[in-house]
Amino acid sequence: MIETTASPLPALRLRPWLGIVATALAMLVSWMGLLWAPTDAVQGDVYRVIYVHVPAAWLAYLAFAVVFLASIGWLWTRRPWFDALAVSSAEIGVLFTGLAIVAGSIWAKPTWGVWWTWDPRLVTTAIMFGMYVGYLLLRGLSTDFERRATRAAVLGIIAVVDVPIVHLSVLYMNSVHQLPTVLRVGGDPSLDSQMGMTLGFSVIAFTFVYFALLAERMEIERRRQQRLLDVRA
Amino acid sequence: MIDNLGFIVAAYAVVWGGIAAYAVSLARRRGRD
Repeated sequence: MIETTASPLPALRLRPWLGIVATALAMLVSWMGLLWAPTDAVQGDVYRVIYVHVPAAWLAYLAFAVVFLASIGWLWTRRPWFDALAVSSAEIGVLFTGLAIVAGSIWAKPTWGVWWTWDPRLVTTAIMFGMYVGYLLLRGLSTDFERRATRAAVLGIIAVVDVPIVHLSVLYMNSVHQLPTVLRVGGDPSLDSQMGMTLGFSVIAFTFVYFALLAERMEIERRRQQRLLDVRA
Repeated sequence: MIDNLGFIVAAYAVVWGGIAAYAVSLARRRGRD
């Protein structure tokens, strides 16, 4: 029986500040990526797309890892806050995955000569996108709160297996996508320092964007849950 | 002149525009509550 939608964590009034900082960082890293970072010796300037493509992909990984943990949290505690966290993070993860795919496609056209290819990295990413769209659609199949949350939690735990498959696909499958340059197994990042700094700042900016969006989305979901509880009472 | 400038600008516009559009949609959903 659900008795509270309250957060298990202390209340933090972060929402306006997260959005402001995220917006400022977005402008900063756009300037860094477009103008400050040096031109690449091999790809020229088109490589600059990595400063939006790579962080979007990494934050999608993070978002789906949060879905996984929140799903465990729901199954373990039956606190609606965890279900709100799971659906909110899944929605943002789907957004970031879609944007990573589109940005990657825009980069691929001048680099590989095609908008799309049936490459392991691209295909596994598209599968990951489809799985989490499925997660969101699954939630719409049931009107019963606990049943919906439990089914979604099971899928949220299973679907995360695709995240390492996506990341490792370029290593273990025959891929034209470039190998990891930062998150490499057993090696230091192989990146110019200015490029590395720009990529690092971009990841920080996208992380703030993720948390700002997450806070907003969770607020909507928790209000929805509270209305549901009020109707039941 | 920056090579492939159109592709670069398009990628940034799509990503940041997509995020902004989602943020606006969240603000509208919150306003409806």
